[in-house]
Amino acid sequence: MAERGMSRRAEHLTPVPGPGSDVPVGANDLLLAVGRGDEEAFARLYDLVAPRVYGLIRRVLRDPAQAEEVAQEVLVEVWRTAARFDQASGSATSWVFTIAHRRAVDRVRAEQASAERAVRAGVAAIETPYDEVADEVAGRLERQQVRHCLDDLTDLQRQVVIMAYYQGHSYPQVAELLKTPLGTVKTRMRDGLIRLRDCLGVEVTA
Amino acid sequence: MTADIHSLVGAYVLDAVDDLERAAVDRHLRECDACRTDAAELREAAARLADGAWSVPPPRLRDNVLAAVATTRQLPVETLRRSRRPYRARWLAAAAAVVAAVGAGTAVFTVQEQRVREERSVAEAVRTRESEVRDILAAPDVVLRDQPLTGGGKVTVAYSRLRDSGVIMMAADAAPDGGRVFQLWTVRSGTPVSEGVLAVGQTSIVKVVAGMSSASAVGVSVEPPGGSPAPTVTVAGVKTI
Ligand SMILES: [Zn+2]
Repeated sequence: MAERGMSRRAEHLTPVPGPGSDVPVGANDLLLAVGRGDEEAFARLYDLVAPRVYGLIRRVLRDPAQAEEVAQEVLVEVWRTAARFDQASGSATSWVFTIAHRRAVDRVRAEQASAERAVRAGVAAIETPYDEVADEVAGRLERQQVRHCLDDLTDLQRQVVIMAYYQGHSYPQVAELLKTPLGTVKTRMRDGLIRLRDCLGVEVTA
Repeated sequence: MTADIHSLVGAYVLDAVDDLERAAVDRHLRECDACRTDAAELREAAARLADGAWSVPPPRLRDNVLAAVATTRQLPVETLRRSRRPYRARWLAAAAAVVAAVGAGTAVFTVQEQRVREERSVAEAVRTRESEVRDILAAPDVVLRDQPLTGGGKVTVAYSRLRDSGVIMMAADAAPDGGRVFQLWTVRSGTPVSEGVLAVGQTSIVKVVAGMSSASAVGVSVEPPGGSPAPTVTVAGVKTI
């Protein structure tokens, strides 16, 4: 616990380059600059996070056109609310992806509410957790690490985490789809994430 | 409920909870340092899952976003602190009006009807700081139950024995046909007691109910406009014992 805290703090010690510097800076520094109204920093932050923002939303929504629309909303929201980012409570990338994930899930739930599509979509999705990224740029280091760490989870842990995070299912929906008790699903989500955290470390190096 | 809340942290971080549970966890995190640290770390881990979804966006997205940003004003820090998202202010107003009407003991829920009708209204209302709702959700013994509505939608009940009160949140996919309306009930000593009648066309509501300790169930029925003295067609029932 203490070590993790320290590694996160170390990230905040990244030197901030002077004005006009071309030295690459991390997402934290960029987001802080964006919070002060720096449009150039925003463009650089965009390049850093957009493929994951878009990819994540697309993964959850399963519809490229809608994903593009929601990704735009999210990225503009990042600009609008950047001053709210508080690096004491987490990394910039986590802050951005949290907004993106939440927005994607909201959109999916709104659709689910209007139809009983949860079961159909869910059952289909369990079969194909990775199909959609198969044709994407291969060999991204982080992706390999995440996949490696996901492989490290038990089958049930991995399933519940993937169904919630990548498919936008609520835990009761996951319980129903997997015919598993609610309490078990909640617990597996939690201990699955703990295992993931320990495998990845909580540092975000983007 | 602390045990309950703690077990929800994983689902919470994965956005796999409903808005009511989210509100309860948010509340707990404001008060519990250990959980806040846990949640922050798990959130970092969950956010890394976005790495696994890496996908090249269409090039026009960059142009569109940068163009939008050039004409979008940023929110100052103070505004952000005061109200998390200003465009939600209307929801706060709607929810406050509904809760105020309930508090005054009236069974007329026509306030802000159009806004309340929108599908997100329940979720948005729950996110508000309306004190009655907040107190119940923050109760250490709060229990959450939900049931689908026949015809689509959901009713969620949160109640606390300690507070002796509960919140009924209902969101239907559509208004009942034939100009009929939804009516909320509690069952006390085996007898249904009306907890409010929705307006014609109204599909959602957040309702605070006092004296929940004596209620064994919450129900939703479909009735003629203005409601009935006893339920006619029940579309959902939630046991609260
Ligand atoms: Zn706690």
